[in-house]
Amino acid sequence: MSSAENPLAEGLRLRRTPDACAFVVFGASGDLTQRKLFPALYALALRRLLPERFGVVGVARTEQTTKQWIAAMEKAVKQHARDDFDREVWGRIAEGMHYVATDFADDEGQDAVVACLNRLDEERGTSGNRLYYLAVPPAAFETIVNELGERRAREGWTRLIVEKPFGHDRDSAHALNETLRRHFAEEEVFRIDHYLGKETVQNMLALRFANGIFEPIWNRQFIDHVQITVAESLGIEGRAGFYEKAGAVRDIFQNHLLQLVALTAMEPPIDFTADSVRNEKVKVLRSIHTPSPKSIVRGQYGRGYVEAEEVPGYREEEGVAPDSQTETFVAAKLFVDNWRWADTPFYVRAGKRMPKRETTIAIQFQRAPHPPFAEIAGDGLRPNVLLIHVQPDEGVALAIGAKVPGQGMSIRTVHMDFLYGGAFRTGLPEAYERLILDAMLGDATLFTRADEVDEQWALVDSIVAAWRRDRPTFPNYEAGSWGPRAADDLMHRDGRSWRRH
Amino acid sequence: MSVVAEVRAQLEELREREAADGTPDLRTSVMTHVVWAPPRWADAARRTLAGLEERHPSRTILLLPEPRRRDCIETTVSMKCFTKPGLSHEVCSEVIELRLCGKRAHAPASIVLPLLISDLPTFCRWRGEPPWGEPELEQLVGVCDRLVVDSSEWRGLPAAYAELAELFDRIAVSDVAWGRGREWRGRLAALWPGIATIDELAVTGPRADALLLAGWLRSRLRRPVALAHRSARELSRVAVDGEAVETPLGWPPSPSDLLSDELDLFARDPIYEAAVRAAHEA
Repeated sequence: MSSAENPLAEGLRLRRTPDACAFVVFGASGDLTQRKLFPALYALALRRLLPERFGVVGVARTEQTTKQWIAAMEKAVKQHARDDFDREVWGRIAEGMHYVATDFADDEGQDAVVACLNRLDEERGTSGNRLYYLAVPPAAFETIVNELGERRAREGWTRLIVEKPFGHDRDSAHALNETLRRHFAEEEVFRIDHYLGKETVQNMLALRFANGIFEPIWNRQFIDHVQITVAESLGIEGRAGFYEKAGAVRDIFQNHLLQLVALTAMEPPIDFTADSVRNEKVKVLRSIHTPSPKSIVRGQYGRGYVEAEEVPGYREEEGVAPDSQTETFVAAKLFVDNWRWADTPFYVRAGKRMPKRETTIAIQFQRAPHPPFAEIAGDGLRPNVLLIHVQPDEGVALAIGAKVPGQGMSIRTVHMDFLYGGAFRTGLPEAYERLILDAMLGDATLFTRADEVDEQWALVDSIVAAWRRDRPTFPNYEAGSWGPRAADDLMHRDGRSWRRH
Repeated sequence: MSVVAEVRAQLEELREREAADGTPDLRTSVMTHVVWAPPRWADAARRTLAGLEERHPSRTILLLPEPRRRDCIETTVSMKCFTKPGLSHEVCSEVIELRLCGKRAHAPASIVLPLLISDLPTFCRWRGEPPWGEPELEQLVGVCDRLVVDSSEWRGLPAAYAELAELFDRIAVSDVAWGRGREWRGRLAALWPGIATIDELAVTGPRADALLLAGWLRSRLRRPVALAHRSARELSRVAVDGEAVETPLGWPPSPSDLLSDELDLFARDPIYEAAVRAAHEA
């Protein structure tokens, strides 16, 4: 309904509310559904952001009744939601919830899902609109996609949210994309990378393109280098089966880290539509050339201490092979070969069992060309750093040199901080809230497109191919440290060092 | 010591006290929020502010005019600090309460100006009906970027809308009563095109809300729309030519929510301005 047709629509600042729809979760009894999806649905319901005519269908192998499933999800919401539990709000969701216990490959089970959805259309007016969420292991993707494709509703829209990992290499991702293309148009597929749903990641775009002061200096002439850190203090948390095959390069580097690189390095999009933003990200990913083996460091944690608690080494974790060669840390020096960034290194690292959980993007500017105070600086005149805290303590800090009050001219580095929690105290929405709502609204801006995934895997495949030729000496870093010494050497060789944390 | 110097000294002292544990708190502001609250509105203003400070960290200057008292300015300065899970610091907003007595109540801008935070927008929430044409209103309109009123607090409706409309070219105006009707306007817009030939709008709720809804329909549809109004504390029923409109979900929002929404707006709202003019002209 445009305001050109309807004069009453002009100027209405109504909240974005999606069309009536049914939300179908495959993997409805799993961890992701309980920890993230239902808390997100609850937060959306609490804020009246879900459509009025709405229903949820859970599909999983676990044998249980709808009543039991609703009770389990209620418990999950109480445990994991960011808001206090409100029975009336939960009641609104629960009254439209149905559970179907079936194997994903079972035709009868899938027919039961369709029958359940048709009933929802009649009872709750969901109009044939379907948002499917595949919260299942990658091995089940193809089966479900084929089943869904063969049973598309004749009316309404169909959208499909696909969780990472999207394939395990370029070939498998390509095959998965082909399967999706057989049944769904690209605009119907929403490949989720929850990092893109984080407010601070989106704020990177606001910071760069809504502020005139940054863009003119956001290039090789003014920026010395960029450091991106995705550090986790946790280990593999019982996910040995997945992690042994994936490692840090597929778990974090292929998706989150490369997305952060792309957002940091991309050119201004002409608008904030899905294709404009993603076109620019793809250009960056295409411009990253394969790093030489010397520019890549991998590591695996051994026994150590995290937050004063002794933790086992990776090879001692349950389900991990005692001689595992899986990397739990990866660091790389990347170059984005384009006009803006030529010869400007992007140092990236991701690891498990680091001293703390922290995701940051640090833009280190060139030093002042001739600081007249250098000889009397208190702790050395350090270059300016624009630090983007993705998590935790979401915000932006700018490190600047300032005069220490008093006699003489002593310079200290101080931080000017903008903390999201301080300036906008509305409570940051969880990434999944934003992403599920966007998918319901058909807005794919914060989802990865097939060609982005392809470029990401192309880079990872080239890195992994080189690794096959040698056997590293693992473990090579202690749990609770910032990774192997080789990661420091990677920076030191260039006369630089990782940020102090 | 001047009043402004005294306020600054008190603020400094409070900041030092807050930082005494060795962890400086964050003083973050997104605006200066001036509140003009005559005595009968003072408590309501404080209550609304209490629900607002967390959402819009700001320097709040609460002006409490008491023109009948002897000349004086009484100041109370406080810091409202909030903790947030995951944030290692507390976040603090400043509240400067100024009781303007006697003639001091007629020159509020002179004390507000030196206390404004540079480069940030200044919102003025005026409680009750503004004294149209009086110096205190004129002065604050001159120093603020946006005037936020709630016309349901006014007695002189709809004539007061004509006075309000006189301000439109000088300051952006928000009306909480207009904000309260937002979701209802959405419901009415959804009735397009059937609603294009409406003759009568029936509204149960505050008079201001009803007048603005009717004014909006008149201005947007460019046709006369009669208003049948039944008074109630809350906007609870709207009917078009005798047919009830479905009540929006999640209604009604709290006063803090409503004011919070208005504080997110910066530009003039031509749709609202046209509705105000049409509300008065009918």
